[in-house]
Amino acid sequence: MNAEPVEITPGDSMFELGRDRIATLASVADYLIPAAHGMPSAGEVVTAAQLRFVLRTRPDLFDPLIAALRYELGDDPSVRLAALAAHEPEAEAALQMVIVAGYYTDAGVRSRLGYQGQVAKPVNARDYPTYLEEGLLDKVIERGPIWRNPTTG
Amino acid sequence: MSTEPADVLIIGAGASGGVVARRLAEAGYSVVCLEQGRWHDRSEYRGTELDWELTARKQWSGSPNVRGLPEDYPVDDMDSDLSPLMFAGVGGSMLLFAGAWPRMLPSDFRVRSLDGVADDWPLTYEELRPFYERNDRHIGVSGLGGDPAYPPGEDPPLPPLPIGPGALKVARAHDRLGWHWWPEPNAILSTPYEGRHQCVQRGTCMQGCNEGAKASTDLTHWPHAIANGARLLTGARVLRIETNSQGLATGALWLDEDGREHFQPANVVVLAANAIGTARLLLLSASNAHPDGLANSSGTVGTRLMMHPFASVTGLFNDNLESWQGHFGCSIESFQFYETDQRRGFVRGAKWGLAPTGGPINAALPSRAGKQAWGPDHHIQMRARFGHGASWGLFGEDLPDPSNRVGLSSTITDSSGIPAPELHYKVSENSRKLLDFHIDKASESLLAAGAHTIEVDRLMQYSGWHLLGTARMGEDPTTSVLNRWNRSHDVANLYVVDGSCFVTSGGVNPTSTICAVALRAADHMVNTRFDQQVPR
Repeated sequence: MNAEPVEITPGDSMFELGRDRIATLASVADYLIPAAHGMPSAGEVVTAAQLRFVLRTRPDLFDPLIAALRYELGDDPSVRLAALAAHEPEAEAALQMVIVAGYYTDAGVRSRLGYQGQVAKPVNARDYPTYLEEGLLDKVIERGPIWRNPTTG
Repeated sequence: MSTEPADVLIIGAGASGGVVARRLAEAGYSVVCLEQGRWHDRSEYRGTELDWELTARKQWSGSPNVRGLPEDYPVDDMDSDLSPLMFAGVGGSMLLFAGAWPRMLPSDFRVRSLDGVADDWPLTYEELRPFYERNDRHIGVSGLGGDPAYPPGEDPPLPPLPIGPGALKVARAHDRLGWHWWPEPNAILSTPYEGRHQCVQRGTCMQGCNEGAKASTDLTHWPHAIANGARLLTGARVLRIETNSQGLATGALWLDEDGREHFQPANVVVLAANAIGTARLLLLSASNAHPDGLANSSGTVGTRLMMHPFASVTGLFNDNLESWQGHFGCSIESFQFYETDQRRGFVRGAKWGLAPTGGPINAALPSRAGKQAWGPDHHIQMRARFGHGASWGLFGEDLPDPSNRVGLSSTITDSSGIPAPELHYKVSENSRKLLDFHIDKASESLLAAGAHTIEVDRLMQYSGWHLLGTARMGEDPTTSVLNRWNRSHDVANLYVVDGSCFVTSGGVNPTSTICAVALRAADHMVNTRFDQQVPR
């Protein structure tokens, strides 16, 4: 969000959220997921487009997100998160979900994790299982039945 | 809307309702089914979309309280240690189940005789085995025959699914430990079968299968039932079952989506609405003749609710296992510690099933085991967790307790104004000891497989998939609701075929047993059709 100017138009969820809350969200995002270990910060990644995507998919998150980003909770993300955790866990959960979902649905982040999404890899049942090649069931079978026979106890 | 009497009215189009509808329609019965949900097209499922993990936690959640769809009824679970999970729609909760398809074991039907607890079932594993096998063919079960955890029988109709790299590590560990393991049977196709596609290992089974590889009765049973004349009415919410002066059920009063009231007459009524929905309907059907609810002269309707307290134990490995992929029904299972050993300080046991660990949002905000990490450590934890996990799911036997029950809420209703079910459920001391023991052993398994870290969820709140026991079978009408053929002791033309009928829970995923018991009940209805009492 830091990297991209936020375009705000009336009727947009961003418009309702407002610039101040968006700025607060960016600071919390950077606090939770900072740039480190070769990964970008969430503040950079969770752009207005990402935020729109998340809130369009999950409009139920909007109200608790508004609550979590209110001015009265101050400028320090750690203080804000501690207050939410203590008194408003639903708002805290919504804030975390919006940031995490915005971050991990980003193509660049996924690429750095080596993740291409949930990919279709059709099963080929003719492939001979490695566990049979290695004989990993042989001893299981050799040990014989392990079920308890009700008639003999 | 036709009010022609049906030979059989089925309430609920899920697992058991689908099985009974197919069998009876193929036998020539006129069948009507009332289902409060609707048909779902596979294109609705989000597994192929970027929003998959986001919608999994809301629109496609297993919890009706989280989803809050108009066709759902809310469940008051404030006084319950576990939150129940279910889905209203054609195919029912099978649309969102994992697809694991183990059977109960012979000892599960005899826990009073063997372990001195709860009650024996009025039927045996051997009696049920042919129905398991017939259902396996209808469902298209993939698996490997010869598992010594079970008595001999017919092999699954399809070859086993691949177990994946994480399960292979665990299988090697069990080989070294001398512990049981076996490829889990799954209601998921390993090869094309009866017009359905094989599994593509996308790992999104629990939000609906885009391929139709995972079985659900909307795919496996309802098309056959409808082709044989069954009528399936969706968006049909049942208010109550009516009876006549003979004490026989005459049909059901129901509401359509516009709130209009209808009456569907029938000669026989079959309840297939899961152990919460069925108990709710029987209690809602109270009348002057049945002041405590229908079929409830024993006073046991709604009691003995069992939900299988669930723990998960996840091992994290150095290797990238791509554990976001793979069928979510279990890859492998272990019955090593399933049977009672009194030295452990509890009775009965648990099946272990190894599952994938989900996508990146789940790794960051785990719904199973694992803690969140923020700050720079977040990335370290994500690298360690995402794609690197293998998770044993532990379903422990949940012994029946009369105080664990379903009642009717005096404050919460569904969108039609009908009282919601209210749950009172506490996890027993036996279950807690059982899970503690199995958590330790499952940790040992994963460490032996090479895991460097173990993450444990000792009791998952949102794990109440297995709804069982609220209208139990039994020989004695003073202590049970149904006879051994799933027919009400009190109402001679009323059957309950869902998991409500379970006498005990076993320690395995129950859907294959629910379906086998339902098929057995339907067979009996056909075989005794000329003796069936019907309203005049």
